[in-house]
Amino acid sequence: MNKLQKQSLSIAALVLLLPAWWIAHLNTTFISSPFQVARLLPAFLSEGSTWYNIGVTLFRVVAGLVLGIVAGFIAAFAMNHSRLMREVLGYYVTSALRTPSAIAAILSVAIFKGSEFGYILVVAFITFPYMAVGLRDGLASADKGLAELGQIYHLGLFTQIRHVTAPFVAPYIFAALRNAHALAWKVIVVAEIFGAARVGFGAKFEHAWSYMLMDEVHLWLLVFMALVLFAEYGVIRRAEKFVFRWR
Amino acid sequence: MNTDTRETVLKVVDLGVSYGETPAIAQLDFEVKRGEFVAILGPSGCGKSSMLNVLSGLMAPTRGRVVVDGDELYLPRSKDPRLGYVFQAHRLLPWRTVRQNLEIVLGASDVPRDTWHARIDEILEILHIAEFKDAWPMRLSGGQRQRVSIARAILVDPSYILMDEPLSTLDEVTARSLRQELTGICQRTGATIVFVTHSIREAVYLADRIIILTRGPAQVFENYIVPLERPRDYDDARIAEVEADIVARVQAPWGLETVKERDVA
Repeated sequence: MNKLQKQSLSIAALVLLLPAWWIAHLNTTFISSPFQVARLLPAFLSEGSTWYNIGVTLFRVVAGLVLGIVAGFIAAFAMNHSRLMREVLGYYVTSALRTPSAIAAILSVAIFKGSEFGYILVVAFITFPYMAVGLRDGLASADKGLAELGQIYHLGLFTQIRHVTAPFVAPYIFAALRNAHALAWKVIVVAEIFGAARVGFGAKFEHAWSYMLMDEVHLWLLVFMALVLFAEYGVIRRAEKFVFRWR
Repeated sequence: MNTDTRETVLKVVDLGVSYGETPAIAQLDFEVKRGEFVAILGPSGCGKSSMLNVLSGLMAPTRGRVVVDGDELYLPRSKDPRLGYVFQAHRLLPWRTVRQNLEIVLGASDVPRDTWHARIDEILEILHIAEFKDAWPMRLSGGQRQRVSIARAILVDPSYILMDEPLSTLDEVTARSLRQELTGICQRTGATIVFVTHSIREAVYLADRIIILTRGPAQVFENYIVPLERPRDYDDARIAEVEADIVARVQAPWGLETVKERDVA
């Protein structure tokens, strides 16, 4: 399948949602008409506050992801190098992995009382075990033959990491990143709603829902979906394609 | 009596390797001269892998000395040996192009950076893979990948190149063509080769000298000078004669009465 065919199919899949949306609108009182939402969309997007709120949520997601990735990397390297750390950290990682994201969001917001750091921390807490487990598995399956190659040709530590280890574990990192990224967006909205945040996507969504401003609810949902899809297809998959261009 | 006056590149003295109480190499003593093509021939499980690990700097021996260009390995302050290694499987980095694979190795050597391009071009030209300089290893055939692996080994101007059955994973047609070129490549570059193989015919065809090992734990059974001038023909009757001679010699030390039928066939 060529690129044009793939893009056509993606657009067709989105367009197919419109009839379903329209039917749902005709049969309920709380789902706005797609045409009404489309009419309001340009004005909504031209408002500065829309982008400000998106920016706040985006910052929380990115900062939390970065923190989670760094923590995951440290945990994975520690687990890979020491049996003791593997035993000890293994429990923390498994616990974090099994904690429902809503519970983590509520706890974090309660502990940090709705501070900015609380939102970032909940994203980091939910995403770090994915990175830790993914990278740990990648490091554990490292190609011993390539490690020997590095030894025989006296590749330095930096060269070894840059040209041998990092590309080897890259598929594991990307797989973990995609899971972590998807979860990060979900958990930040839950945290913003439960934490009674004043700004951010979740706060505005909660506000619109509380006052039954259904057009606004739909607009926020649309923007949210567009943002998540852009991050997935426009950023992560493009980066993946570049990194794995040798395949 | 060895009348070879060339300089000694590799000297192995009273080498022994044990894993706990289990000996892998009983005792090895041999020398390799500069520019020499030496094949190491031994039955499965005789300790060839352990020997390669020791000669490549990966594993210190339990006993004995390895001297490379006058420097003894495995001493606390010994220099790292500059050597090339051609593995059974190519072990190229799949995420780097052919040129990048070679540059990474050059980066770890003391070859001046401004000579890299010319050097890479020259070696790839010798190995007939110049047009694949910017290709990903995945896009190459098995034979082409192994050529890149050989280029990588020659590139750093090593004291010697270890080759661990480098043709055993290739199909027979590709192996024949690469085998044919290998001696020419070594003569053109002046490389010193230690070539480990299971194939007696391959050893006879390629090597100046064959070090025949006993069954494990290994010892040197015989230093066999190949009595054939170059160039050689792989299908030549004289190669078959030398092969049959070696087969007859190794039957007792390898303890394989059926080796003759199997190898000559």
